[in-house]
Order: sequence, then C-alpha cells, then structure tokens
Amino acid sequence: MVTADAVEATEFPELSGKYKISGVPHTVINEGAGNMIGAAPEDMLVEEIRKALKT
Amino acid sequence: MGSFLDDNITSQIKEVFINLTNPVEILVFTSQKDCDYCEDTRTLLEEVCSLSDKLSFKSVDVDNQPELAGEYHVIRTPVIVVLGQIDGLMKDFGVRFSGIPAGHEFSALIHSILSVSSQEIAFNPETMEFLNSLKSPIHLEVFTTPT
Repeated sequence: MVTADAVEATEFPELSGKYKISGVPHTVINEGAGNMIGAAPEDMLVEEIRKALKT
Repeated sequence: MGSFLDDNITSQIKEVFINLTNPVEILVFTSQKDCDYCEDTRTLLEEVCSLSDKLSFKSVDVDNQPELAGEYHVIRTPVIVVLGQIDGLMKDFGVRFSGIPAGHEFSALIHSILSVSSQEIAFNPETMEFLNSLKSPIHLEVFTTPT
C-alpha cells in the first residue's frame, strides 16, 4: 500500500523541477498532493499524508 | 568496472550484515540509453550483495524486460528495489532508490536492507493504526542529494 522512493535530486532534474525542489530533504506525497520540506518526523509525516489524502 | 567499496567499508558492512535474518533480493533496473549512473549503480549493488549469502542480486534492463519494469512501476533509471521474503516468496516491501545511492543514501540503503530482512516494525501504534486503515496507495518520493 505504501511505496517510498529515495530520489537523487540532481540525477533527475526534470522530476526535481516538476516538484520545485529547492532544498533537501523534500518529501513529495502522491505526486504533489502533499509536501514536506526538511526532516519528516513520524507523527508529522502521517499528518501530512492524512491531509494529502483529503485533497 | 572499478571497485566502489574499500576494505574498511567492506568489513563494516559485513559486520552489520551478520544481523541479516530473512533473505533479501535487490533488483537494479537499468537502461543502456541515456543513463549516466546505471553502470555504477549496478556495480555498487552487485558488490554490496556479494557481502552476504542472505542477499541476492538481479539486474534488469528496462528495455529488454519492460513487463518486469511495469510490475514494479519503474519509470526511470537507475532504480533499486529491495524485496524481502515472506513464506518463501519474494515480496515488494515498497522500498525504492532512484539514482545512485551515494553519500548519506548509502547508509539509508544498508538500513533498508537490514529492516526488510528483519521485518521488524518500529512505528508507534497510532501510525500502525493509520497504515492499516489505508484504502488507497501512498507514494512517497524523498528528494535528497549525495552530500
């Protein structure tokens, strides 16, 4: 149900551009439905995923 | 094809790989077209997998085996997929690395191999409850840089 992909930003500039990645780490949830910039503590990440699912 | 892992790193990795329990299979998806890091990524992962008999390695050319790329939703290269064994079958645990896992991502890769092997879950109960309630797939892409 969950896939997590660690993407090397400089190797995939088109993808980084699409999501406007300017700093790392940057977590993109469901192709941009949600975003989390900086560290992703467990409870905050779950909260962002919940929000992303509502959009 | 050079060697990526020096003696020091090799012995450190072997040390942590002693803790591997269940078998893990690494798939590396590569392409001969327009892929600067495919060859290096394949060589690196092949070296890592050679450090434990619990690890197996398979290289997949996405142009020759598009159906396998499709099965794992691989749409770029290089991509690493970490599979774990449940009831004798290799299962997709949803763990991916896009691009060469150098720098910090290398330790993340080693960690992910260890956790897919142990199959131990370190989430808190609230997170587990949320994950078990999911009705649609979640796809996380964590952008990083090698430094």
